[in-house]
Amino acid sequence: MNVHSKIQLTEAETELIRAFVERSARLPGNAQTVMTRDSAIEAIKAAGLPTRKVEAWHYTDLRRLLSAVPAYDPEVPVDDAEPLIAGSPVAAVANGMTARAPNVDGVSFSTFFARLSEEDSIAVPERGDDTVGLINIAFVSGGWGVEIADGVELAAPLELQNLHGGGQVHVRFPVTVGNQAKATIIERQTGQGEALVSSISDVEIGEGAELTWIIVQEQPDDTTHLGQFAARLAKDAKLTLFIMNAGGKLVRQEVRVAVVGEGGDFQMRCINLLAGDNHTDVTMVLDHAAPDAGSVEIVRNVVTGRAEGAFQGQIRVAQAAQKTDARMACNTLLLSDEGGFSTKPELEIFADDVACGHGATVTEIDSDHLFYLMSRGIGEHEARRLLVKAFLAEVIEDLDDEALVEVLEAKLDAWFAEHG
Amino acid sequence: MSSTDQLRELANRDYKYGFVTDIDMESLPIGLNEDVVRALSAKKNEPEWMTEFRLKAYRHWLTMEEPTWPNVHYEPVDYQSISYYSAPKSDKDRPKSLDEVDPKLLETYAKLGIPLTEQKMLAGVAVDAVFDSVSVATTFREKLGELGVIFCPFSEAVREHPDLVKKYMGSVVPYADNFFAALNSAVFSDGSFVYIPEGVRCPMELSTYFRINAANTGQFERTLIVADKGSYVSYLEGCTAPMRDENQLHAAIVEIVALEDAEVKYSTIQNWYPGDKDGKGGIYNFVTKRGLCKEARSRISWTQVETGSAITWKYPSCILKGDESVGEFYSVALTSGRQQADTGTKMVHIGKNTRSTIISKGISALHGQNSYRGLVRVQAGAENARNFTQCDSMLIGEECGAHTFPYIDVRNPTARVEHEATTSKIGEDQLFYCLQRGIEMEDAVSMIVNGFCKEVFRELPMEFAVEARKLLSVSLEGSVG
Repeated sequence: MNVHSKIQLTEAETELIRAFVERSARLPGNAQTVMTRDSAIEAIKAAGLPTRKVEAWHYTDLRRLLSAVPAYDPEVPVDDAEPLIAGSPVAAVANGMTARAPNVDGVSFSTFFARLSEEDSIAVPERGDDTVGLINIAFVSGGWGVEIADGVELAAPLELQNLHGGGQVHVRFPVTVGNQAKATIIERQTGQGEALVSSISDVEIGEGAELTWIIVQEQPDDTTHLGQFAARLAKDAKLTLFIMNAGGKLVRQEVRVAVVGEGGDFQMRCINLLAGDNHTDVTMVLDHAAPDAGSVEIVRNVVTGRAEGAFQGQIRVAQAAQKTDARMACNTLLLSDEGGFSTKPELEIFADDVACGHGATVTEIDSDHLFYLMSRGIGEHEARRLLVKAFLAEVIEDLDDEALVEVLEAKLDAWFAEHG
Repeated sequence: MSSTDQLRELANRDYKYGFVTDIDMESLPIGLNEDVVRALSAKKNEPEWMTEFRLKAYRHWLTMEEPTWPNVHYEPVDYQSISYYSAPKSDKDRPKSLDEVDPKLLETYAKLGIPLTEQKMLAGVAVDAVFDSVSVATTFREKLGELGVIFCPFSEAVREHPDLVKKYMGSVVPYADNFFAALNSAVFSDGSFVYIPEGVRCPMELSTYFRINAANTGQFERTLIVADKGSYVSYLEGCTAPMRDENQLHAAIVEIVALEDAEVKYSTIQNWYPGDKDGKGGIYNFVTKRGLCKEARSRISWTQVETGSAITWKYPSCILKGDESVGEFYSVALTSGRQQADTGTKMVHIGKNTRSTIISKGISALHGQNSYRGLVRVQAGAENARNFTQCDSMLIGEECGAHTFPYIDVRNPTARVEHEATTSKIGEDQLFYCLQRGIEMEDAVSMIVNGFCKEVFRELPMEFAVEARKLLSVSLEGSVG
């Protein structure tokens, strides 16, 4: 393969480019932004969507898997979604356009549309393999900017909703959490009808701040969801990221976390529920750039039907990041003959005084455990459900917010009721 | 003296095996084209089918690009500036016995400690010594011959056992497999051929010492081991190379075929010249090693101790095709100075109830960069496949790096795949414990590192294990703090 050769564009690539030609004039942004958008689409035109040969896309051949790009339709109706925790404030985006924002003390909201028109707020991605970034930059139309002032503690979780009624949705949530602030933010990704969704959350976490970020992805089963969560942690900042993937046809959730301040702490818990023909890929890159920081990532996957899943986790420890303690685990229950799961836990370590480890397992339900329950009179189906639930609930229970744990466990039960 | 100083001092040691033997060499002109491939084949009196195989591989090689995915960095190799053949001149009248062998050659072997003469029985090892490209002398042939074991230079096997070679050569590593395999298939110089007949347990450990000698001569070994039903063989490969300023390319192929109930144990100690402390010179070691557990209950075990070479690119793998077949990989890879290694294994589970174990120990010191890259794949039909992988890295010094890239693909729900990896520094408390008991720093480190590698060393045949331990201590000299 010669990288310089002109490629033959696929149908989806052609449609993506055509969609850009049709929409670009109506997309927000100053002259600089227009140029940035152009160069993003040019990059896709030149190299095509990534294939397995691009290491970051090793398990998700986007070129092959993205078969169709639905047309943008701003008029299609969008259903409201109740917040996960009743009564919590909601900032919503519908069909890619900002819909409504709440009033919360110490928190200011700005529409991304306005930001784009006023300043140069998007840049071409530094990495050539950041296809989610490229697609989003080309098409992004809205989203909420959120600023939490220094020292503010949110009483209730703030919910960011990205809702759609089908078509194309490209949004961004730039979020700043001030020094010593404390917040829980829920990112909801859902809608009705076939869609191509790209959503980027870009989070700056100030010194000593504590942020819990929950991503609940429940896209319809014909939707392509390209998500990216990026965060930078300042000194002594703490980030707990929880991801639940329970929908979509083709799902790619990227996590890019950089611990740039000393003593930072990153916790990630991720649950991937795969059914039918779903393809879900969670790709995480964690940069430990500062000393005395810690991180733990636990990923649990359940695969049924003909679903395919992948987890790529890369921990990079820079030479300056001495005394880093980083742990990563990925456990998969493979419950069907036709499903598959791939993991690639990578460590790249350039500092010598560190403790890093990762573990990965793939297996089916332990027959001893099943036997134990069945010998106590629990039917096989119920016993299996219990074991799978226990396997997942363990991860959810790491969250120390009871209301959240309850809601997420209810989501698990709902998924089982449909697919279990 | 601070630990860093100690490290530096130890790093300044010279390469112990850096000597060059002056023997007349007969080389082909530098460069590679179809004529060179033909000339190479003609020089070795190869049959037509072999020449065709080489040409096919060469033509395919032209269409391929050198892989860039490994986590190693080096100056590009100019494949047209390499001589693809060199053999000791006395090739035409091969020595009938050791007395006829060039004494200088014997001297070299003596320095390497190869028990080719009186020490033959002592070590209990039959040596097919590859000196640059052509096998010069083979020992223990008669004894092995009685059992029907074939252990001979590859070129001889091509002439005398064409059916076996035709049947198995390229069956595990096809010529189009990868860039370096294609290159090797086109220009391979010589190597070893082993055939163990049905039900035979090879009474001695078969051993080949490779030694790269002539300047600018790429070494393109090709080894083929076939273990017929119910047979057993343990094969040892050890390497040292003289000091050179130019990077030397080594692109070998090792193919192993294990039939029903057969077991092959392949052990390697690789200690080629790693380059000087600035990374100048040193061997590029780009090797394709793969074993096929072709039939039921066959077993292939790779054990490697990699302490040499400037660049290592090597993934001894097992294709577990037969039901209940077993693959094992035990590895110690040490990178010190400016060495870079990207090594690991692939275990491909195809048959039912197949099992594999991977134990990899990576040690990085000074500026060394060590990567473990592994693949465990469980195909849909591999019911009850089991894999256990453990890859541990140890970092000694602040400027080295340890990397792990394990790929795990599971397509069968009855599979059980476990992977664990750790990276840590050499334990301060362990060091302290040793030091306060009067053990020198260097010995303490050597002890701790040997302990770290124990799981791998115990898989090595005894003589090799002793050598491996020594090699590790020598290689670590100057890297410890």
